[in-house]
Amino acid sequence: MLLGIDVGGTFTDAVIIKDEMVIEQAKVATDHKNVLKSIIEALDRVLFKGAAGDLERVAISSTIVTNALTENKLEPVFLAVITGPGMNVEDKFPVKPCYLSGCVDHRGKITASVKLEELQEWKDTIGNVCAVSGKFAVRDPEQEYKVERELKSYGSSKVFLGSELSGELNFIRRTNSAYFAAAVYKIFSDFCQKVKQALADRYINAPVYILKADGGTLPLEAALEQPVEAVFTGPAASVLGIEALAAPGVNSISLDVGGTTTDIAFWEGGLPLMAKKGAVINGYSTAVHSFHMRSIGIGGDSKITKDGDGYRVGPKREGPAAAVGGSAPTLSDAFIVGGYVEFGDKNKALDAIATLGGNPETEAEKIVQAAVSKITATIEEMLITWAKQPVYTVNDVIRGTEFVPKQLTGVGGGSMGLVNALGVAMGLPVEIPMGAMVANAIGAAVARPTLSAELRADTTEGYYLIPESGKRQPLPKKFNEVMARNLLSEWLKGQAEKWKIPQEETELISREHFRTVHGYYDIGDIYSLRMQLKPGILHKVSCGEVKI
Amino acid sequence: MKDTLGLVFFPAFDWMISPGHPERQERLLYTRDQLLEEGLFDCEEIKECRPRIAQINDLQRAHIGVPAVDKLITPAHLVSAGGCLTAADAVMKKEVKRAFALVRPPGHHAMRVVHGIRGFCIVNIEAIMVEYLRSKYQVRKIAVVDTDVHHGDGSQDIFYHDPDTLYISFHQDGRTLYPGTGFPDEAGSPAAWGTNINLPLLPRTGDAGLHQLYDGLISHILEDFRPELIINSAGQDNHFSDPLASMSITAQGYARLADKLKADIAVLEGGYSIENALPYVNTGIILAMAGMDYSKVVEPDLSGLYGQDPRCSKRVEELIGQVGEIYFNRTKVSRQLLEKYGGIWQRRKSIYYDEEGIREQQVETVRYCSCGGYFTIQTEAAGTRFGNQNAFIACVPRNACAACRQKAHDEALAEKKRGRWQYVLVQNIVDGFIETI
Repeated sequence: MLLGIDVGGTFTDAVIIKDEMVIEQAKVATDHKNVLKSIIEALDRVLFKGAAGDLERVAISSTIVTNALTENKLEPVFLAVITGPGMNVEDKFPVKPCYLSGCVDHRGKITASVKLEELQEWKDTIGNVCAVSGKFAVRDPEQEYKVERELKSYGSSKVFLGSELSGELNFIRRTNSAYFAAAVYKIFSDFCQKVKQALADRYINAPVYILKADGGTLPLEAALEQPVEAVFTGPAASVLGIEALAAPGVNSISLDVGGTTTDIAFWEGGLPLMAKKGAVINGYSTAVHSFHMRSIGIGGDSKITKDGDGYRVGPKREGPAAAVGGSAPTLSDAFIVGGYVEFGDKNKALDAIATLGGNPETEAEKIVQAAVSKITATIEEMLITWAKQPVYTVNDVIRGTEFVPKQLTGVGGGSMGLVNALGVAMGLPVEIPMGAMVANAIGAAVARPTLSAELRADTTEGYYLIPESGKRQPLPKKFNEVMARNLLSEWLKGQAEKWKIPQEETELISREHFRTVHGYYDIGDIYSLRMQLKPGILHKVSCGEVKI
Repeated sequence: MKDTLGLVFFPAFDWMISPGHPERQERLLYTRDQLLEEGLFDCEEIKECRPRIAQINDLQRAHIGVPAVDKLITPAHLVSAGGCLTAADAVMKKEVKRAFALVRPPGHHAMRVVHGIRGFCIVNIEAIMVEYLRSKYQVRKIAVVDTDVHHGDGSQDIFYHDPDTLYISFHQDGRTLYPGTGFPDEAGSPAAWGTNINLPLLPRTGDAGLHQLYDGLISHILEDFRPELIINSAGQDNHFSDPLASMSITAQGYARLADKLKADIAVLEGGYSIENALPYVNTGIILAMAGMDYSKVVEPDLSGLYGQDPRCSKRVEELIGQVGEIYFNRTKVSRQLLEKYGGIWQRRKSIYYDEEGIREQQVETVRYCSCGGYFTIQTEAAGTRFGNQNAFIACVPRNACAACRQKAHDEALAEKKRGRWQYVLVQNIVDGFIETI
């Protein structure tokens, strides 16, 4: 049995899944001041007698990190950066960093050693939790390690390194990831402690997993090494929920329509598309991966405002629809009047829409079209962004990256009306799977553990390196690409074992190979590989629709 | 509008001329790594744009391919030319303030008539962009400043009769480097005299000499010419570490130049120190064009940098005097030349295609008229991939009057009747349509 909990903006959901069926589900109001309490409440609702012992896994998608970041409840962090030459990075980080001399170049050559003595004058500000990041440290992390050791000698207990959080190029993103990881470390580790305690109190010994922004999960202990990854998990849970319930087989656009907002994602071959840029936290780019998604302020409870002859829908929430006892017209009332959905008291919806003047049916249609056109505009922007994403080979330019949607998939309370109306407008068939009300918790419950890593081998320099793992290693004899793949795959499997992640297949995400030339003659090869444990969901889930 | 830079980055990781060639897949690999690692693509001042695919017509506004341009190019050329058009559109539609087409393959050695590949180039991506800017956006006066170490003989060839295009090239003296041309007296055909500016510098000229030249001459010429747009053919092989040339410019030297020049659109040309120069020079130029601080862009290894010989700055002083005189007296001299030659001017050219060993002979004839006139090219090339080939080409400029259009066609028809040419073609520059007679 799998237990999934999702802390959302309005509700906290919990589900228990057995044999690919949801057998228990609950929804409780989220208490933002005490997220843990909401989790425990939802947990206790679904936990039936004897369930504790049968649970194989508990997975939690919580707002704890997101809230700490957006509300700026961050611990002070000492941030040290080794920039080397390049762009002036003065306003690229959330705090003023300590700049250390030293330089690694793009090939990973240390062209100037880091000057540890420069830390001396900062010794009073070096705290318990630190972050260290160096430009091109993913090509040789040795300098970051040196600074880490030095900081520990100054008394720091936890040091986050940019190169350990991400093996990908982008010094600014890695630095911000390291900083934010450090800044939420205490809040996150306290939270994890309490969750473990609460579960232990209920005799649940199953391993606990935390959902990440990229839709994967990590065992709690592993998540503590990269707490920033637990940011923005709500949309990720929603996407995974859609995958578990519907897994659109054709190119599809999914819409998770809540009370206040609608989350839009793209699907190809049953998998959601990932964003090309890192998540932006408090205005700063990070190395956190997330989906190609947009959130817009339109939902079932959206406020309706007259705007000339037409209407504006959202972004404010009006409260429940008039049809179910609300006091003012909402988008849902327009859908009821327009005949797109049937729920609540249609007469009350009619009365509410009538207060806007004119013929209620006509006005309702105008409101629906206002919502639809705002969403189609966002979808259009997402399609263009995807189609125009940078590509670096002639082949890719010619082949193109256009995404052609064939279907719309709707989940969430308000999806029935909105997604159907959108389907008509876009001329696309619509699928709304059962169980859409607790899709997020289902998503968390069945999300697979994820791990990914990069390997770079430079045969001229005679080394290979998995940045996430640390040291440069000498190349084995007769090195070739197959060997590189095996090395990386073995390392990932080793990591999986270390974190007690069930063994999964590894897959290659990207690959580059360049012949290098010096002085007119070929001298070697550069290989860059990126592999991951297969992401996605453990299995599909079916669910009856339950009234809450 | 904010100070934004549209960056069309296209490293063509699947294109090369031949294995081990300087124009190989690896060329912009380290630049890509540096730009990514710097986080430049995340800066709000920089907007990355994907190149589009140019149409054959776009190419034919600047070129006549023999037998046809589409038989000579690879798809990569359509993408790099398309990248320049994308950059032009972004600037002209005011989506960005400036743009940099950091693309390959390069183009400034490609001349109007193309039989094959020379100096790593088949089509001239700046010239294609200039003609596009004129046809699509009605831009008239354009300055092209070529900062590649090699003389941009292709650009010179294409702009040679056009008084509205100011072409300025500084480069390592042609007596010491490919293609061997680019001297001050190659100043344009009579009607365009003084709008083709060549500034051959001595080997080892450094940042000091370069900026002495810019401040002392180039900036004044640009100020006087008042172009509506400035285009930079941003070759980077003046760098002290370049393996194909012998100059002493640094990343700072290039970045400061980009900052002073404030080009509306820059286009990458050469630059083959792919590890030690390109990552830093490109970062510097991008930052400068985006209005950002570039002062910290310094090569980690300056060991190959030597001071500038006093003779270098002496040469710069001479050029400032000599070429300044050519430019600032250009109207008078142009008038004298037109009077001297009457209604017709002719030049003969021998063109060698280093990459393919093609030897081409051309006779180019310009016929003047108050509309600007038209010109014809007789070309004979030996050793092309299609064997020996020849052609007679009449080129109809965009401002040609009805009479000149007619004359150009008549001349082509007459040549056709003589039967001595394999191909008789008429190039309509305004729309890139090439008629086979």
